[in-house]
Amino acid sequence: MRLTEFARSTTFRWAIAIAGAFAVGILILFVFVYWQTTAYMDNRVDSLIVGELTSITAAPPEQRLSLVENRLYSDPRRIKVAGVFAADGRRVAGNVEDRPVGLPPDARPRDIEIVRTDPQGREVQPIRAVAATLPDGELLVIGRSIDELGEIAAIIKRALLLGILPASAIAITAGILLSLRAQRRLEAVLQTVRRIVAGNLRERLPVRGSDPFDQLALIVNGMLDEIEGLIRDLSGVGDDIAHEVRTPLTRVRATLERGRENAATLEELRTIADRAISGLDKSLAIVTALLRIAEIEHGRRLAGFGEVELADVIHEVAELYDPVAEDRHVHLDVEAIDTVSVRGDHDLLFEAVANLVDNAIKFTPADGRVELRLLRQADSIVIRISDTGPGISEAEREVVTRRFYRSDKSRLTPGVGLGLSLVAAITKLHGFRLTIAAGPGCVIEIIAPQA
Amino acid sequence: MTRILLVEDDDETAHEIVAEMVDRGFQVERAATGSVGLERARADEHDVLVVDRLLPEIDGLTIVETLRREQVRTPVLVLSALGGVDDRVRGLRSGGDDYLAKPFALVELVARVEALLRRPSDTRETQLRIGPLELDLIDRTAHRGNRQIDLLPRECRLLEYMMRREGQMVTRAMLFEDVWNYRFVPDSNLVDVHMGRLRHKVDAPGEAPMIHSLRGAGFVLRAPD
Repeated sequence: MRLTEFARSTTFRWAIAIAGAFAVGILILFVFVYWQTTAYMDNRVDSLIVGELTSITAAPPEQRLSLVENRLYSDPRRIKVAGVFAADGRRVAGNVEDRPVGLPPDARPRDIEIVRTDPQGREVQPIRAVAATLPDGELLVIGRSIDELGEIAAIIKRALLLGILPASAIAITAGILLSLRAQRRLEAVLQTVRRIVAGNLRERLPVRGSDPFDQLALIVNGMLDEIEGLIRDLSGVGDDIAHEVRTPLTRVRATLERGRENAATLEELRTIADRAISGLDKSLAIVTALLRIAEIEHGRRLAGFGEVELADVIHEVAELYDPVAEDRHVHLDVEAIDTVSVRGDHDLLFEAVANLVDNAIKFTPADGRVELRLLRQADSIVIRISDTGPGISEAEREVVTRRFYRSDKSRLTPGVGLGLSLVAAITKLHGFRLTIAAGPGCVIEIIAPQA
Repeated sequence: MTRILLVEDDDETAHEIVAEMVDRGFQVERAATGSVGLERARADEHDVLVVDRLLPEIDGLTIVETLRREQVRTPVLVLSALGGVDDRVRGLRSGGDDYLAKPFALVELVARVEALLRRPSDTRETQLRIGPLELDLIDRTAHRGNRQIDLLPRECRLLEYMMRREGQMVTRAMLFEDVWNYRFVPDSNLVDVHMGRLRHKVDAPGEAPMIHSLRGAGFVLRAPD
């Protein structure tokens, strides 16, 4: 990857943004530290000078001047200020040249500027000071240089400058490294996706750990598994279609070909045409059934979902198949518990149950019995169709729901072999389970979980 | 004479449909594209329109929608190679009166067109009578002459459907869609079994038959000759 390309990349921009945010954070932190420190210093200075003012004011008059002198005695850093002024403004003691202006004798600290005078010389100094009138009418001024605060501010500023540069550098470096890593992973994913798009569906995205990126990769891989499965199914179906549709079409072709040569009368020709038409209908029925399964499997029917009374579905199916069962001398026995509704598509559920009942009746020999039940079991609702037919062997149960599969025993019974696949598709769409078990004959259950 | 407009782009299909319709005594006009079809349909000179769904220039559903917007009320049968349930619903919602998925038997097409030409008798009627056969929809009782016929509810529905379409061919698919309200056609002889039951009750031994099977097509109920 070229550098310009990298500079334009989203990850790089993110790195810069993160570094910027980091710098702003540091700045805010320093401002806060500065603000807190100066507030603390101000407070400390204020309480110091007010304390001294109070103690000097409270001292006996004869000690006051010496207290003032003592205060100034040891002050190598020249930060202490004190002064006593007579009522007429004349300086009595201390190191303040003139009676300060703007400092009323109310014992409240203020920022003022004074001219300092002491053995080292005169100097204009900004100070924090308080003043009070002594009992004998003199004015007492106590102060402290606030140059110190300026120094602290300078230290903090220096620390800020010294801190923010390396911190930003670290942030940018970390950002770039992280984004490079992400970029590399993204690049790996892109390469894989390109190969998948090019048709190699076996490829999977790399997964290293369990960060969100890996989770995304896992989801995409799951999706790819599903797609691969679908495509495998689809190509399987393609082969099945080719086989199942070709077989009747071959028959039709042979029928027509021989009929064209051999039919001697119009009646014979008609018979042949009828056979050909029924063969074509069979082929078309296969295509229709397949499209229908595809329609259901793709979940396009979810729009038709609503509350379905299963007991109604059971009774409607029973009503539809009752005469058919009677004709075949099969006893159709129905029992359904009341008021069980599920979320689903009424027509599709009807179709599924109808298919199963249709099959059961078809495979049950005369004087046999088909039972259609709607019952509640633990935390689910079960539609059970059982018959006294030949049943389905254990080995066949798995494959039986696959499209087109038809048990060998049923080869002689009409039907395109898609019934169970359709039922399986419908149950899957509803989130129900389809189980096939051995009974006396065959026991098929559609199991709907109930909350 | 009944005039039918067929809008179908496939020449061979159109040829067979036209031939079949003419044999049945209809007068058929064919349009090969959507725009010609729409133009001809606007003239409002036809009794039934048979419109293919996928057409060059203007598709079938658009034609139907346009006509309905323009207050042309001619009944429309939509033909389509799309057989999904949703496709059917869309076809009917756009203003079509019936929907037939390709491929279809020609006889099915004829039955549907005839059904559109002869809309069922007034559905508010509760007493139906065809020749000696009477059906009271309130009491759910039927009589043939003096003989009372006991009907199960499903047989009553079936008989009502047939009586409202006296003399008209009804196909298995029509019965399945209209009487049972189901869109899938099971591959067993369900409809035949139900019709057999009904016929057994309506046409007692020795009575002239009223319910007739039409080979390869469907059923028709008519008064005995």
